[in-house]
Amino acid sequence: MSSAETNAAARIRVRGLAKRYGAFEVFRDVAFDVGQREVVTIVGASGCGKTTLLRCLDGLLPADGGEIWIDAQRLAAPIAGVAMVFQHFGLFPWKTVYDNVAYGLRMAGASREEIGRRVPHFIALVGLAGFEQAYPYQMSGGMQQRCGLARALAIDPAVLLMDEPFAAVDAQTREILQFELLRIWEGKPTSMIFVTHSIEEAVLMGDRVFVLKGRPSRVAETIAIDLPRPRTRATLRLPRFAELRERVWSTLMSEARQAEFQLSGG
Amino acid sequence: MVDSTMPVDPAAAVGKNARAGDALVARLIAGAVILCGWEIVVRLSAPAFVAKPSTIAMAIPRVLVDPAFLASAAATLAGVVEGLAIALVVGTIIGLAIGRSRLVDVTLRLYVNIFYALPMLVVVPLFALWFGYTGAARLVTVVFASVFSIIVNVADGARAVPQEYVEVARSFRAAPLRSLFDVVLPASTPYLLAGLRLAAGRALIGAVVAEFITAVSGIGYFILYNSRTYHESEAFVGVLVLAGFGVGFDSLVGWCTRRFLPWYRRDRGA
Repeated sequence: MSSAETNAAARIRVRGLAKRYGAFEVFRDVAFDVGQREVVTIVGASGCGKTTLLRCLDGLLPADGGEIWIDAQRLAAPIAGVAMVFQHFGLFPWKTVYDNVAYGLRMAGASREEIGRRVPHFIALVGLAGFEQAYPYQMSGGMQQRCGLARALAIDPAVLLMDEPFAAVDAQTREILQFELLRIWEGKPTSMIFVTHSIEEAVLMGDRVFVLKGRPSRVAETIAIDLPRPRTRATLRLPRFAELRERVWSTLMSEARQAEFQLSGG
Repeated sequence: MVDSTMPVDPAAAVGKNARAGDALVARLIAGAVILCGWEIVVRLSAPAFVAKPSTIAMAIPRVLVDPAFLASAAATLAGVVEGLAIALVVGTIIGLAIGRSRLVDVTLRLYVNIFYALPMLVVVPLFALWFGYTGAARLVTVVFASVFSIIVNVADGARAVPQEYVEVARSFRAAPLRSLFDVVLPASTPYLLAGLRLAAGRALIGAVVAEFITAVSGIGYFILYNSRTYHESEAFVGVLVLAGFGVGFDSLVGWCTRRFLPWYRRDRGA
């Protein structure tokens, strides 16, 4: 990926990123680029700092070293054009679907007319038409996350950050939402960083899979996913899909052994 | 309303009605026993001017049409409502500040706790000196009596706002001051209403205490005057009306909770 470093088309550039909580180093020396229409998925064992990394990329957490650039802007706090989809949806329970989706636009100072035009469009895009006046507590987890997705998409982000967005919904809903997200992304490809526990999901979604490993963790492996797009349910049946899934799996599993060697080696 | 459209299990509904009916019967019996006991004891052993249920019942229609009483009731109610409104606004702002800012918290918390614990009875003579023996003293007493329970509750609510909501607001680049009223306040409203419920009870006590001490006209003074002039039954009607205010306000807050916070409880419960 050395060509990516000089690639002017990279939307996200991360250099030497480090984060610690007190004496505990979460990650160190994290560096990568993400293209303008590229999906990068991040996998790693629980507690390896995937979500922490994503929160740094959203500007919610200050990094302790290194730099994050989004286009020509160095990130220090949340910036316009970057939207996050939260693991537990992060919907405001006192707002209707309509008002939740409008929230990002309102905070960005959009005009009433623009909100009135964009919000129904994105509610329809995620399949929630007819539920504008529903409250989150009246909806299933899958519907709530559709709403969270619409809220993020409504501000027309150049970068989408997905924090295990489908981890809190049941398996069937998860599959439906994966293909919905792929369909929506194909309609308007953007930079997307997608954190997940699921290897299958990582391979299905990503152009590249980053494997976070070690203590402190870093991007130990980058696996290019050369599956054709658009990706559909048929993608899951490709022999190549199974191969890539095995590769990501064995890369993740080798960590346990490596850690053992590091310990005995001192 | 959402509730009315929800399917109801008929068997459960019947069971619920039966339980509600049982509770009502039990309540009525208990009330009748207390009233009869009171009546009997007073008739057997007390002078004629001592209030008993039968004379109070006869006094009710007389007192309720008395223009002087109605003016008193209106004055007390207006003082309580006005004071609560002031306490609600002031208490909410201070409570939000304490709940969300460590600096404000360490600066003010001690004083809020001191004033919250202070018996309001002891400050009324001071308020009477400062504001005169007027409705203003009553108003200040009501505010003093009620504002601290609102502050304490709103501060607790603001502190308990899920971190996730705050992060969403930051992620979408909401200005912190705007988030205070856009995210923290709505997330704290269940606490706010619980505080208001407490505050309403204290506000009524505050109004009555102020009237006792400053002799400003109102239900409190009406009760005091009538009991000192051997019109005990009339005084008791005033007590009943005060109790009615308390129950009425409590129901109003409860209704507001169900009407405006349908998301609360269900959000975490079911």
